[in-house]
Amino acid sequence: MNYPFWDVDIGYGILMAAIAVVHVMVSHFAIGGGLYLVVAEHFARKANDVYRLQFLERLSKFFVLVTVVFGALTGVGIWFIIGLLNPAATEVLIHNFVWGWATEWTFFVIEILAALLYYYGWKKLSARNHLIIGWIYFIAAWMSLFVINGIITFMLTPGDWLTTGSFWDGFFNPTLWPSLVLRTGICILMAGLFTLLVAGRQYPDEKKRGLVRYNAWWGLLGLIITLPSFWWYFKSIPADIRTAAQEMMPFVMQRVDQTYWFIAALAVVLIVFGLILPKRYNLAIGIVGLALGLVFFGEYEWLREAIRKPYVVHGYMYGNALEVAQQDAYLESGYLEHMVFTTDDPGADLYRRACRSCHTIDGYKALKPFFEGTDEEFIAGIVRGTGVMKGNMPPWFGTEEESQLLAAHIYKQIDQRHVSEIYGLSGVELGEKAYELRCSGCHEIGGFNDKFASLVGLAEEDYSDMLDMAGDFAEEMPAFTGDEVERAALIQYLMTLEEGGQDATAGL
Amino acid sequence: MQLPDYNFLSAPLWLVTVLHIVTLTLHFIAMNFVVGGIIAILWGRFSDRWNHPVVQKFIKLFPSALAATVTFGVAPLLFVQLVYHRQMYSASIISGWFWLLIIPVVIVGYYFLYGASFGKGGGGRKGLFLLLALIGFVYVSIVYSSVFSMAENPDHYAALYAGNQSGWLINPDVGEWIVRWLHMITGAITVGGFFVGWLGRNDEEAFKVGKTFFLWGMAAAALFGLVYLFTLGEALVPLMRTPGIWALTIGIVLSVGSLHFFFKKKFLPAALMLFVSLLTMVITRHELRLVRLGDYFEPSSLPVDPQWGVFIVFLVCFLIAIAAVWYMLRLFFAPGDKT
Repeated sequence: MNYPFWDVDIGYGILMAAIAVVHVMVSHFAIGGGLYLVVAEHFARKANDVYRLQFLERLSKFFVLVTVVFGALTGVGIWFIIGLLNPAATEVLIHNFVWGWATEWTFFVIEILAALLYYYGWKKLSARNHLIIGWIYFIAAWMSLFVINGIITFMLTPGDWLTTGSFWDGFFNPTLWPSLVLRTGICILMAGLFTLLVAGRQYPDEKKRGLVRYNAWWGLLGLIITLPSFWWYFKSIPADIRTAAQEMMPFVMQRVDQTYWFIAALAVVLIVFGLILPKRYNLAIGIVGLALGLVFFGEYEWLREAIRKPYVVHGYMYGNALEVAQQDAYLESGYLEHMVFTTDDPGADLYRRACRSCHTIDGYKALKPFFEGTDEEFIAGIVRGTGVMKGNMPPWFGTEEESQLLAAHIYKQIDQRHVSEIYGLSGVELGEKAYELRCSGCHEIGGFNDKFASLVGLAEEDYSDMLDMAGDFAEEMPAFTGDEVERAALIQYLMTLEEGGQDATAGL
Repeated sequence: MQLPDYNFLSAPLWLVTVLHIVTLTLHFIAMNFVVGGIIAILWGRFSDRWNHPVVQKFIKLFPSALAATVTFGVAPLLFVQLVYHRQMYSASIISGWFWLLIIPVVIVGYYFLYGASFGKGGGGRKGLFLLLALIGFVYVSIVYSSVFSMAENPDHYAALYAGNQSGWLINPDVGEWIVRWLHMITGAITVGGFFVGWLGRNDEEAFKVGKTFFLWGMAAAALFGLVYLFTLGEALVPLMRTPGIWALTIGIVLSVGSLHFFFKKKFLPAALMLFVSLLTMVITRHELRLVRLGDYFEPSSLPVDPQWGVFIVFLVCFLIAIAAVWYMLRLFFAPGDKT
């Protein structure tokens, strides 16, 4: 809590993704494309294929304009954005890996110069020297990936670093190698997809047929490497992280399966339009292919970030920059005591520190839908129980008084009318909404931490007693603080629950 | 479980400082080439501006020079974060949007430079592209001056944060950074003029343009530098007691020496003196930062826990990079290579 908090209306996740997603796409193309250029040039020169060499020269212009400008600058942009969104985590990474980054910078210097000389060298250099510079480019670019990959994977799987603090333990962490193979496959895939995009604009003749097929093979080779390494990567993530993600964020894990479908769809495009009907591979299909590749890659990056929750550095620092090592200190004196930068509104300060890294009030990951129709006391209870709720959120280490200040801050920004008025509901439907608002954050019927079996088939007075005692069931569980109307509706809804996991209103 | 502490320096402070100062100097040279070069090309007295070979040479070189600016900018950004992370991140958060906008602005500026470099159109279009790129880079320089001056005043940014957390604040104490910014811009014009004169040494007109910008740029930079010293207020006297004042003195002498050799068309000693004078200015800037942060932060108080193993890896890679750069440039500029 040593830094100010950048309080923007846009969700932090969106801001991060806006820069990081485009950067990783281009930066992986920068590596795979470098390999493509030099290998294709080698064979084109051997075959004295003028058509292919002219294509490669045009491609290298596109390559320089995309990678040297956009790729390099968005890379710097990642530095900028992580320093703004999570300066504490950036500080952790900088202090531990500065020489890793400095090493990566040396490869970056070689890479940028080689890319420029390769492009300007088409008309100036001999074939041999041009190829030498091309290979230097690719080696430097891949080495740059090797270094940065160690730091990125560290964030999810810091491994023995958590006990030794050694640079090497952090760098050579459990997911370094599978991630490296996976990313290398993605680089080759991106090379295939981007070069297909450029080739799609060629005049549809026999030469285009050969070019498109060649590029499609690059895409397929990338996929062939990617598929098993994605599985290997996933299996290399320690079981406790995967299990926690499965339990707390089942929707994230379901996306893993979707990822395989994107790979399959991409393979179909590459085989059908790349290998079987290469002359038909035009700009539109190129865009579709690239989009599928980007969605698959984006899904992987999103998955990697998502399963790291609630941490930004697993086991070391939470996503909202709270330090695991400081937990006891927070518990003892609360959050406000530790904040170096404050305003005259402690509720807002607490909201920024505890929630705002992931949530907004009514935009990205909005809190409004979760709290509208509830009350301050309930919100304070939920704040204290965040560590056990679905979604794998950081626990609350603040004081009870701070949770009330935070709850008051949230409450004053939401619709404070009665839940029945806000949603226009009554009876069982109102009860179902009340369950959704007050219970399903921790007990989702048919989902997370399901208590259906213990809820079904009780008498009205049992439900009433249960609501009376709700606050006593567990330390993290808030008491039922709704009024009599809401209470009656909730009981009415609970009484409709039937064996087999369905409630009586299902399908209405 | 005892978790590792991250509040440490993984190399001695002096080593980090040297790397920071040297790489920042290289960044400034490349940046000055671009910014000062564009100004000299756009407003220098060339009789047939867009057909002048030196102007054309510069337009071709600008994209690569910007690539060098970005590449050499990454390293000092890394090292400054290592030591002054608290101040730098805090100040950049106060100006969050302006800070972040630097990235798209530089990207667009970069494409304008390529547009001018690749463009087959007339001079008007190239001039417009260069002007738009320049406006973008001036924006970047303003944000940098604002943020880094704010970073030296923790009370100031803490007070600003208490009133506004949106990231839409440029350092409102304009007097604190405007002269510093003018000094930087006129310094860029000086270096830009030097390069125009150097690359146009065989063309009287180009040399004259370079001479004019070098001379008047330096005069203006000296004037703003002097004014800036007097705006430092309480920090001025402590600065006078640091090695920074020696660096500044040497820098001024070398700048004048550089001008002398430039006028005599002895470019190598002139370039060497200009480079060292820029280095001394960066050292002075560093000393000033230490003075201004004196009451809040002392870098030498950071615990040092060296990571020599990976530092040696860095050093080896650094030497490989120098060798690779030299080798590639040798291949590229070898006469009659194309066979």
